[in-house]
Formats: sequence, structure tokens, C-alpha cells
Amino acid sequence: MKNRLRVLRAERGWSQGDLAERLEVSRQSVNAIETGRYDPSLPLAFRIADLFELSIEQIFVNPALEAGEE
Amino acid sequence: MNASTPAMKRYNRRMLWAFAAYVVALFAANSIDNHYHLQGGVLIALSVVPALPIIAVVAIIGRYLVEERDEYLRQRLVTCMLFGTGVLLAVGTVYNFLSGSGAIDPMPRLWIFPVWAMGWFAAQAFLCLRDRFAGQPA
Repeated sequence: MKNRLRVLRAERGWSQGDLAERLEVSRQSVNAIETGRYDPSLPLAFRIADLFELSIEQIFVNPALEAGEE
Repeated sequence: MNASTPAMKRYNRRMLWAFAAYVVALFAANSIDNHYHLQGGVLIALSVVPALPIIAVVAIIGRYLVEERDEYLRQRLVTCMLFGTGVLLAVGTVYNFLSGSGAIDPMPRLWIFPVWAMGWFAAQAFLCLRDRFAGQPA
């Protein structure tokens, strides 16, 4: 699933490791989510959204809308 | 496996103990059998001893899946185990047909767990490489 995680992280000057520590997950998890190879569970998506003080939709691109744009 | 989570560190430590126990149990069972030529129930019990650490390995994997809080690592391990299971089923099926037709001589079934583990490790290696090259850490 496409997302803005890398941009949001870069805006705050965080490394993948920094974000992983804040989310209490591995750096591999952050990397996999950023590159769209892994879709986080709803609880983890909420944790990410809470951390950035955004809604889930502001971070993750709705796949249905993404398909409609093509 | 990358020991980056507490659960994974415990998993690695338990695995080392299980494999050490396997080596000791295998060596001890063979030595005792060679020296005393046991029979009956004692022989059955002795023969099962080296299998116990292998069964413990399966239990350790199950415990890791329960204890691991990182959902991506958990999913990755399950994927690798499924791949190992697929490899084992494929190899086992081909082997059964080959040995059933007499094309090859039947072999001891000791290869079952190693084949599963090799499939698992191959998948693990592939996914580790993919993770390494799919996105460089910033």
C-alpha cells in the first residue's frame, strides 16, 4: 500500500531506526511498510497515525482511490 | 535471523540449547545402543530421545510466534515456514513416486526435518536480501 511514511519521517529528521524505536517495531518493519511490501495491521496503522498526529488516510493511500486515479 | 527484538533473542538462545541437546542426545543414544545392544521398551525409549530436541525446536518456533510483538517479523517467519513446508511436500511427493517405482532405493526418513529447514532457510535468506536491497535505510 502506498504511503507517505518516508516523507513524514524525513520531515522530522528521523532515521528508520528512530521511527522503529518510537513505534516499538523493528527497522525491517518500517522499511517494509515504507516500500509498500507490507501493509500494517489496523492497530499499527493507528499507532503510526497517532505518532504523526494525522489520520490514517493522510498517511496511507486508499487502494480503491488509487486504482480509480489510474 | 536478526536478533533485533527481545523475543528473537530468546528464540535464538533457546534454539542453541535445543541443537546442543540434539547433538548430546544423538551421541549418547548411539553410544549406549552400541555398548549395551538394548532391546524392547528400553530401545524404543532410547531411540526416541534424539527426536525430543527436534520436537522442542517446533515448540520453540511456536513460542516465538506467540511472544514476537513485531507483526512484520512474525509474518515473515510464517511465510518462510510455509515455503519450507511446500518444499518438503514437493520433495517428499517426488521421492515417494521415485522410490515407489523402484527408480531409487528407499532411504531413511531422517531427511524430512532437514529438507523443511533448508526450504525455510532459503526463504529466509531470500527475504533478508530483499529487505536489504528493497529500501536502503535513511
